[in-house]
Amino acid sequence: MRFLVSCAVAAVLTASPVFAADRLLTDDTGREITIPDTPERIVVMHEPLLGVPLMDLGLELAGSYGRADDGGFVIAVDFIDTVLGEGKAKPKGFGPVGQPDLEKLRALEPDLILASELDAGKVDQLSTVAPVYLQNISGDKVHGFDIQENLAALLGREDLFEARKAGYMERVAELRAALPGDAAGQTYLPVFLTDQINVVGDSSGMVQALEDLGYTRLEVAEASTTSASGGSMMLMPLSAEVFGSLNPDILVLLNSYMDSSRDEAGTREKLDRIVPGWDRFMKPALENRILFVDPATVITPTVASAEHMLDAIEHWSGQAQ
Amino acid sequence: MIRRGTATDGKRVLRLANGLQMRTGNLLAGCGLAAAALILAAWSTGLGLTDAGLADLLRALTGGSLSDAETYALLTVRLPRILLGFMVGWAVALSGALLQSIARNPLADPGLFGFSQGSMIMIMLLLVIAPVAPKSLVALAAVTGGLCVAGLLLWLVGGERSSGLSIVLLGIAVETVLSSFGSLLILYLPTETSIALSEWLAGSLFQANWSVIAAFTPLFVLGLVGSLLAGGATSAYDLGTEMAQALGEPVARSRPLILLFAVVLSAAAVTAVGPLVFLGVLAPHIAGFLSPAVGRARLLLSGLVGGMLVVAADALTRGIAGGLPLPLGLSLTMVGVPLFIIALRLQALRKLQSH
Repeated sequence: MRFLVSCAVAAVLTASPVFAADRLLTDDTGREITIPDTPERIVVMHEPLLGVPLMDLGLELAGSYGRADDGGFVIAVDFIDTVLGEGKAKPKGFGPVGQPDLEKLRALEPDLILASELDAGKVDQLSTVAPVYLQNISGDKVHGFDIQENLAALLGREDLFEARKAGYMERVAELRAALPGDAAGQTYLPVFLTDQINVVGDSSGMVQALEDLGYTRLEVAEASTTSASGGSMMLMPLSAEVFGSLNPDILVLLNSYMDSSRDEAGTREKLDRIVPGWDRFMKPALENRILFVDPATVITPTVASAEHMLDAIEHWSGQAQ
Repeated sequence: MIRRGTATDGKRVLRLANGLQMRTGNLLAGCGLAAAALILAAWSTGLGLTDAGLADLLRALTGGSLSDAETYALLTVRLPRILLGFMVGWAVALSGALLQSIARNPLADPGLFGFSQGSMIMIMLLLVIAPVAPKSLVALAAVTGGLCVAGLLLWLVGGERSSGLSIVLLGIAVETVLSSFGSLLILYLPTETSIALSEWLAGSLFQANWSVIAAFTPLFVLGLVGSLLAGGATSAYDLGTEMAQALGEPVARSRPLILLFAVVLSAAAVTAVGPLVFLGVLAPHIAGFLSPAVGRARLLLSGLVGGMLVVAADALTRGIAGGLPLPLGLSLTMVGVPLFIIALRLQALRKLQSH
């Protein structure tokens, strides 16, 4: 009987954790949750899309899914280093990718867990530790650095975000004036190379910078007809034949994070394996309208990534002149 | 009234007053497996970051107090994983043992027949269309997918005179088509969706909590009752469809019912933890090696071994793997396959010695 009572208590505690909470709000999936007015120990379930935007606003993270216990990152690229610069304090992990460890998560003593709509299936379990806010990250729901703006509003950092954005917009105006031609009306197409060709989605600092400068995305029939709602960084794969026939005013090429050489030479070599001889027949290549960018710096939905993209465009336009 | 006796093959049996009998060896093996499962579960309660284990759990049961961290670790994380893991393992193993009897093929399991894939594809499609779909809808999708495959299989197999081999061959064909479609979905979905689906496909007891256990418990009890009811029929099916008919088994009625029972068990397990590949083959074989049995005893022993294997695999995932990513499906293979190989090798050696 005592055991049953213990289980019932555990179930009740699980269903309604008690926290020093004083703000009731609705997350992006329509769930009502109560979160602390000023969360101090935030844990994120997706570091590049949810963690880096917060750190760009000066917040420290208590934990991040995908990091090791000692703070080391488990994939090839540490986005905190590449986007925000080295030397920042790293959040601790709570279990390997695919196996979040609830005991380790609880030991981090979070007062807010930020997750995406793709983590909806984990909400019940994560909520046993702290309130969970689900933020949309899908490319059809958010654009540019919307995610960072939404998180700034959630955590009362609107002023900081507006200040960051104002500085960035000044640079946009300067660069637009310095570009050799008028970007308005010109098209761009960002392409990410894995073992196939992928059109990059709308949610990134890179896209924000390109569109703030006046460029518009080149519509690709194959990608737009198959675009799914589940992804944020990528749209759908593109066939080599369709890719070879495209002619955007700027073709932005990004090599996979997993490749050690994400510079121009490495990216050219990678694309040559997928579309042999592409640089001998594609118009953007023949007319020097290709921008090679390291995705590890520009892919996050942050003002910092948008600024990295401005740097890359500035450097490229300087070379082109 | 229970009486001791000897079966026609010379094995000792216990005879009940209603005419039912069970081999003493099977009964002892069942008791041994149940005891081993308890010991394994007790050891597993001590695995995790928080320093708490069986002694603390017993202290709580006898009125002692636990810290918040200990209560959370034991009652919110570890105990639900152990209980759900055992029940899910039981269900998959039982499903495999039932299918092996119907197909009269030792390789049959929910995966080979495409039931798991049918459930998986339906869940994947649902999660793509509605990533925040409620769990009840996910469970419904899993059962619908499994039932669609079972219905298709029964329709393809045809009448009651069709052989077990035709079920297996058509099952493999359906499974191959569905697996290809699943791979296509994983490959061409956006990266984040693919990763989320891949995590689920790898199997995990992360979702184990008291509400999932409450939802799964009736099914576990149904499995227990069903194995007692269907046990007699499976021993007839083990002799082949025609012999089963000759023994008075209503094949046209009982085969779809047993298939439906196997599908529901498999779909429920897939919904709870993802597909547990090969468990439906592993558990009945290991059980058969420990104590050769037929009918009800075979089903119950298979269920016990299946439950134990999943509890052991979860213990490996939580305790021994440390920071290494070790999905439940992989740890299950690491625990079960060596046992499977040893069992088959020893069986082969036994046969060699007997000739």
